[in-house]
Amino acid sequence: MKGLRALAMALVLATGCAVPLDAPPEGPAEGGGPPKAGGTFRVAFPEDPHHLDPALGYDTVSWWAEQLLFNTLVTYDEGTRIVPDLATSWETSTDGRQVTFRLRPDVVFSTGRAMTGADVKYSLERLLKPALHSPGVEFFTDIEGVDDYVQGRATEVRGIRVPAPDQVVFALTQVDPLFLHKLTMPFAAVVDREAIERGGDGEFDRRRPIGTGAFLLAEWTYGQTLRFERNPSYFRTGTPYLDAIQVTIGANEQLGWLQYLRGELDVAGIPSAEFARVVADPRYQSLLVSRTTLRTSYLGLNCGMAPFDRVAVRQAVNMAVDKQRIVELADGRGVVARGILPPDMPGYDAGLEGLRHDPAAARALLADAGFGSGIATTFWVSRDDLALRIAQSVQEDLRAIGMDLRLKPVDFPALIEGVRRPGIVPMFMFGWEADFPDPSNFLDVLFNSRNQETNNNTFYGNPDVDRLLGQAQTLLDPAARLRLFHEAEVRIVRDAPWVPLMHPSSVNVRNPRVRNYVLHPLRPTRFERVWVAS
Amino acid sequence: MTRRSRWLSACGGLLVGLLVAVAALAPWLTPYDPAAIVVEHYHGPERPSAGHPLGTDTLGRDVWARVAYGSRTSLFVGVLAMGLSLVIGVSVGLVSGYFGGAVDATLMWVVDLVLTMPTLLLLIVLSAVLPPSLFTVPLVIGLVGWTTFARTVRGEVLSLRERDYVVAARALGASHGRIIRRHLLPGVLPGVVVLAALGMSGAIAIDAGLSYIGLGVPHPTPSWGRMVSDFQTYLGVAPWLVMVPGLAIALGVVGFNLLGYGLTDLLGTRRS
Repeated sequence: MKGLRALAMALVLATGCAVPLDAPPEGPAEGGGPPKAGGTFRVAFPEDPHHLDPALGYDTVSWWAEQLLFNTLVTYDEGTRIVPDLATSWETSTDGRQVTFRLRPDVVFSTGRAMTGADVKYSLERLLKPALHSPGVEFFTDIEGVDDYVQGRATEVRGIRVPAPDQVVFALTQVDPLFLHKLTMPFAAVVDREAIERGGDGEFDRRRPIGTGAFLLAEWTYGQTLRFERNPSYFRTGTPYLDAIQVTIGANEQLGWLQYLRGELDVAGIPSAEFARVVADPRYQSLLVSRTTLRTSYLGLNCGMAPFDRVAVRQAVNMAVDKQRIVELADGRGVVARGILPPDMPGYDAGLEGLRHDPAAARALLADAGFGSGIATTFWVSRDDLALRIAQSVQEDLRAIGMDLRLKPVDFPALIEGVRRPGIVPMFMFGWEADFPDPSNFLDVLFNSRNQETNNNTFYGNPDVDRLLGQAQTLLDPAARLRLFHEAEVRIVRDAPWVPLMHPSSVNVRNPRVRNYVLHPLRPTRFERVWVAS
Repeated sequence: MTRRSRWLSACGGLLVGLLVAVAALAPWLTPYDPAAIVVEHYHGPERPSAGHPLGTDTLGRDVWARVAYGSRTSLFVGVLAMGLSLVIGVSVGLVSGYFGGAVDATLMWVVDLVLTMPTLLLLIVLSAVLPPSLFTVPLVIGLVGWTTFARTVRGEVLSLRERDYVVAARALGASHGRIIRRHLLPGVLPGVVVLAALGMSGAIAIDAGLSYIGLGVPHPTPSWGRMVSDFQTYLGVAPWLVMVPGLAIALGVVGFNLLGYGLTDLLGTRRS
């Protein structure tokens, strides 16, 4: 009997009939509000968080966990607007160089101790300690006295003052329009000084992270599970609704999907292979959770290497690539990119034309530039399913204008290593996600010639662009800044160090019992208001 | 020759013949360019239909066209790898067996050295270091696979060189080169032919394996192993993407193997 079934299965496979898509897990009908307290939310990640210390974590899973455990002075609403978190209000001085925060009086650490301005100061000074090697230091170097503190000439940062327990004042060396955004990053989370000092000077005890957050870490079996439980003394009384969040470690997208189908996970990603039929299936429509994010995926053309040291070649590549097809190959998960900035970014110009798809003109451009007989070059791409699919589409597009691309699939860390060094990678495919919603986080970080050693991986340099970015850097008037950024973006698009491909969106699928689960354009999902219906 | 071995070699010959025919006639067997991407209102890979008898892949490319052209890749890799192994292995075996002594000891030491190296690891390292091209994989397989030839040929030569006609040729003052070429080489050829057929199937399988772990011939050259690797997650959604190239690999390997075993009996050689 078993043999017969296996034979039938083999026949089904051999004749090319697909296995039908399973129904989503069953659950309560929509609605069922108001929010009910209780229940455990189940989620899976491929690997453990690297850190639960907010001064050290700088990856998605770490930030996801840190957001459960800690708070920052200010944070984002569901979009990119800055709203109070630990602070109730703030004021910027007229010269823009001093920011005063008033703190909530009712915040306590999970140990029961009340949080004060001294804890805020301590947390940032701890982050800046050279011995801790925090990747977040670079965001706070504009606070007055950081240099002296880092060099060991001062025992505190004089630009962070605590005039009263419910007040913190930051003095900056220069106007920084992004200062509030930087304070939303988990790097600036407030940690419990007493708890940390009990454990010595370095990274704190990762099994007992003490914060002010909505959840507490109850258990962590490394490589297997994490369990977060509701913080009963959380300052926003009545939340979170969930009793606990259970994390399974070690699940890739495929495994997570199978667990979701069996009703073992409350939210999951959709594997590429299944994506098209899941989004087309009416049974799944109401369960899809999607959001455009502040991301742009692009082809990088190394302006320091032949043949891409020629503007004409870069422009021709831009005109040859069929971006609409790439979006379709990515299962429609995103929108075509014409410029550098993603749609949710302030300063995004929906009317920006960019270089339009026109293979005939591209071929003519190459011929005029003296490359009529063809070009061969190497194209580095990350070794994953979707990236390789898109890369082959690009390869085919460029073949049509006489460019022969040798595809070099490499692991992601190798790709990052390669593109940072001059003269190694002529062409590559990459993506960039904003740390905060400001055009400088794309334009300055990726195109300013002074950043060629870090993130300007196309080694692009244009004095005009540098000047525009420099002017925008310290300007407080938002409209004037955005005008300068726009001007810079237009020039960059014309100089074409990138072929902007698409602005990808994130799509998850939820269990029918899950309510209020939303994706954020910049940060991991917050769980304070998530609840499960019964 | 037994009936069984006749039947085996006939089957093998048929499969190999089919493979060669498909490779040679690929452009006439399908109207599609194997690299042409067709995506219109893309809804994932298309199931087999009249227009695309084996369906299309995730880039809208015709699967039959890719499998048919993929046979060229497999044969190319197989023949080139085997040729390289053959040239190196047979030369080393002849020289080593004929001269004996220190020459033999040194060459066999080299053979042992290559044999002690973990083959798969060596293959992975070599294909990672060498630039990706159509020639990298056969080069790597050839450079690793010659030892079997060397050992077998050396063994044969050890016995052949004591034969009367070889002793006579030496007594008549024939040069070493002439003895090796005229008297020893023909004697070892039947064994080599069998090994070559078996080696072809090995090379095809190794190529598929290397392609599967992402080290095979570069995109967009169609390759069976690469197809299996690229589309493994689609097994439940679009099984033809994996089943078709998988079946092709199996038939290619089995074909050359059967041919090899059939030839063993046909040529009266020992199986190594």
